Amino acid sequence: MQKLVIISVIFVTSLLNAQSNYEKGMQKAFELWGSNNPIEASNMFERIANAEPDNWLPPYYAAQVNIVNSFGLRDEDELTAQLKKAQDLINDATAISKNNPEILVLQALLYTAWVAYDGATYGMTMSPKVGAIYAQAEQIAPENPRVVYCKAEWGIGGAKYFGQDTKPFCNDLERSLELFANFKPETPFHPNWGENRVKMLLESCKE
Amino acid sequence: MKKGIIIFIVLMGFKLSAQQIINGIVLNNKDIPLAGANVFLEGTYDGSTTDENGKFTFKTNETGTQTLKVSYISFETFSVIGDVAYMKDLTVKLHEDVNTLDAVVLSAGTFQAGDNSKVNVLKPLDVVTTASALGDFIGALQTLPGTATVAEDGRLFVRGGEAEETQIFIDGIRVFTPYTPTTNNSPTRGRYSPFLFDGITFSTGGYSAEFGQALSSVLLLNTIDEPDQEKTDIGIMSLGATLGNTQKWKTCSLSVNASYINLAPYNAIFPSRNEWIKPYETASGEAVFRKKYNSGLLKLYAAFDATNFELTQEDINEPEGVYFKLKNDNLYFNGSYQGVLSDTWSVSGGLSYTHGNNDLKVIDMLINDTENAIHAKVTFKKRFSNRFKLNFGTEYFVSNFNEDYSDVSTSDMVYDYNNNIEATFAESDIFLSKNLAFKSGLRLEHSELFNQFTLSPRFSLAYKTSKSSQLSLAYGDFYQNPSSNILKFNQNLKAQSTAHYILNYQFNAERKIFRAEVYFKDYNNLIKYDTDFAEFNSNYNNNGYGFAKGIDLFWRDSKTFKNTDYWVSYSFLDTKRDYRNYPSKKQPNFVNSHNLSLVGKYWINDWRSQVGFSYAFATGRTYTNPNTSGFLNEKAKVYNNLSVNWAYLISPQKILYASVNNVLGFKNINGYQYANTANGNGVFERRALQPAADQFFFVGFFWTISEDKKSNQLDNL
Repeated sequence: MQKLVIISVIFVTSLLNAQSNYEKGMQKAFELWGSNNPIEASNMFERIANAEPDNWLPPYYAAQVNIVNSFGLRDEDELTAQLKKAQDLINDATAISKNNPEILVLQALLYTAWVAYDGATYGMTMSPKVGAIYAQAEQIAPENPRVVYCKAEWGIGGAKYFGQDTKPFCNDLERSLELFANFKPETPFHPNWGENRVKMLLESCKE
Repeated sequence: MKKGIIIFIVLMGFKLSAQQIINGIVLNNKDIPLAGANVFLEGTYDGSTTDENGKFTFKTNETGTQTLKVSYISFETFSVIGDVAYMKDLTVKLHEDVNTLDAVVLSAGTFQAGDNSKVNVLKPLDVVTTASALGDFIGALQTLPGTATVAEDGRLFVRGGEAEETQIFIDGIRVFTPYTPTTNNSPTRGRYSPFLFDGITFSTGGYSAEFGQALSSVLLLNTIDEPDQEKTDIGIMSLGATLGNTQKWKTCSLSVNASYINLAPYNAIFPSRNEWIKPYETASGEAVFRKKYNSGLLKLYAAFDATNFELTQEDINEPEGVYFKLKNDNLYFNGSYQGVLSDTWSVSGGLSYTHGNNDLKVIDMLINDTENAIHAKVTFKKRFSNRFKLNFGTEYFVSNFNEDYSDVSTSDMVYDYNNNIEATFAESDIFLSKNLAFKSGLRLEHSELFNQFTLSPRFSLAYKTSKSSQLSLAYGDFYQNPSSNILKFNQNLKAQSTAHYILNYQFNAERKIFRAEVYFKDYNNLIKYDTDFAEFNSNYNNNGYGFAKGIDLFWRDSKTFKNTDYWVSYSFLDTKRDYRNYPSKKQPNFVNSHNLSLVGKYWINDWRSQVGFSYAFATGRTYTNPNTSGFLNEKAKVYNNLSVNWAYLISPQKILYASVNNVLGFKNINGYQYANTANGNGVFERRALQPAADQFFFVGFFWTISEDKKSNQLDNL
């Protein structure tokens, strides 16, 4: 009986260990990212991706860190290397989870990074890709707040450029805010970002 | 219970004692520490990031044999298998990944157009936004060094070579009739619409053993793998209309495109030097079907076009002018497959079929020629490592030419021949380091017509001299059978040959590219004949020879001036040949000694417009003046052309485009035609060979209808 208790304790402990390894790892990675250590955060996410080959979240976040980090880079070689790495990670995530609207949004953001770097050169070739990806994501998940808001933010950029009305896109932003309020991520580590950005964008809509 | 606690503690203790420390340092091959490298035990959570001194340390509970991995951006991932107990004070040296963008590239003689590649000198959009190109990829390539300005012809004449010496390939498969027919005083265009292609490689010499039957140059066009979206494109132009549609399904997509061009309204407004009886009219259709498989991609491409026109052209020997009527039908089919066989093996192959028919009437001569050609090819690639790759394959060309000729004195002469060629090739890419690479290959060809075997070695080397510059060398032997206008009369000949020697310097940094290339070409076995023109009763031999040498310079800068992109090309060419009917070694009449081209583009954000210009300058070409002694003894005056264009985005999906070719109205003269007989004063009279029209105007409106309401046809123009 005593033995059984001990064995079961050890078993449970190791089970808890296994689960918390992932949780601890993810938490640590988010902390690193939050404390402005994007390289370490990306490395941590990549290590988790390596240990959890069936989970699309670690490569997804590793890619996101690299994409977000690339905005503002001015060196084209550095930007190219970083976005290539992000693309590889997106491919890894897509291989695990196909037609995933969250990953599609990330892919659109990657192309947007090129347009943001040099609109005159990449705008004409990348814009149709971005538009097509948002259209696809919207078809799969019309109620996903990130799909709705990222598509609207992309639309606002284009409308401003052509001197067109941004009102319909601002309405979409409003709608995404409602969707955010009702959005329940599958686990604490599933994507749940963007609400603050929407509030910021809505401020500029009112101007 | 006490016992239990003890066991528990012992077990815990065992666990604690199993914890190992793994530490070490990560360096590059020059022993400089790398900060930010990812070090971890594969399949576990245990790992760390190197600090600014390249050092790492982490704890692990793993025991026994494990795989330690070290990864870092732009370096090859390092891995070592061993007992964790011994993973202490490790020194890991990472090797630079030779596949990264800043690695040396084997680029002598090559110009590429594509996205995000280092050696690109042109972007896909340049084809359609270069003022003088008028949406023709051939026109855009003529702004690059190494090409001659033969304004009345329009084809690619590369480094002292004739137009036939350049071969064009779509997805690696040969195109036998790449150019549209035109009158002899207006430039031809590429037959295939530029927006189907997203990669263009233009090699002006020293190319891979994969390509043969081209003495001067190869142009490789790759069709788009996957269209971005479903859409409909409508274009209304001053010359006609186009309509396109793209549909996408889960694993496949289909794009169709149709266009109709009729020059009648244009000729009515802007009269030309041609006296049209039936103005130029062409209808064409293209379709591309793509299907993705788990480990491969199949592409089927088909194009059909029909052209006709009828006119009378000025001629010094015919006061009434020369009557000319043409009807051309052309069908091209190309199927290609690219697939991955395993981690290290890949295969690509394809088949093309061309059917071209010309029905001509010139004065009283009736000519009907038909060409049927097939090209089949398969290549295998084996990657032994990132540093050693092997590429080999085999191909077969079948080509049948048939001509029916009749005039008042001759009836129904038939010229017919088969020109079939087998070839095999093998080539290896060797990267000794990120800074030094070789490519060496061998090509064996057998011509059934001549029963002749030819062996062509190819070699190139590239060495990186600094972070942003490199030197390259290339050498190659090239063979090509004579063209149909010779072969139809005589098949008892040999392949013509040339050897290329190329030295190239390239500087590439921050959106600035500078290239300088010197070359020497040695021509042998060129065709000679003993009459003024190639005729059925001429005597032919392979005793012709010649050389071409020169310097090509290219500079592109997209950085220095905001919203401005410009490039400058200059070529110097010195070439002489003794071939055809030449009495001695002379500079051929399709050669300009100096060629200068300047292209500029400026994006005006507030106007949502791109304005551009292109300027071309070329020294005059040779012609024979029978009033003085000698052959090709004089040179025409210099050639000048300034073209401008303007693209305006009305809304995200509507574009207005306008361009004017030769806006300053330079009166260019391509050469002279002399009378066959002298006049009463013993002088041969002459006529200047001028373009059909000095200027050309183009206006178009393009509208794209798509789901995302964003894309437009700027990249189709």
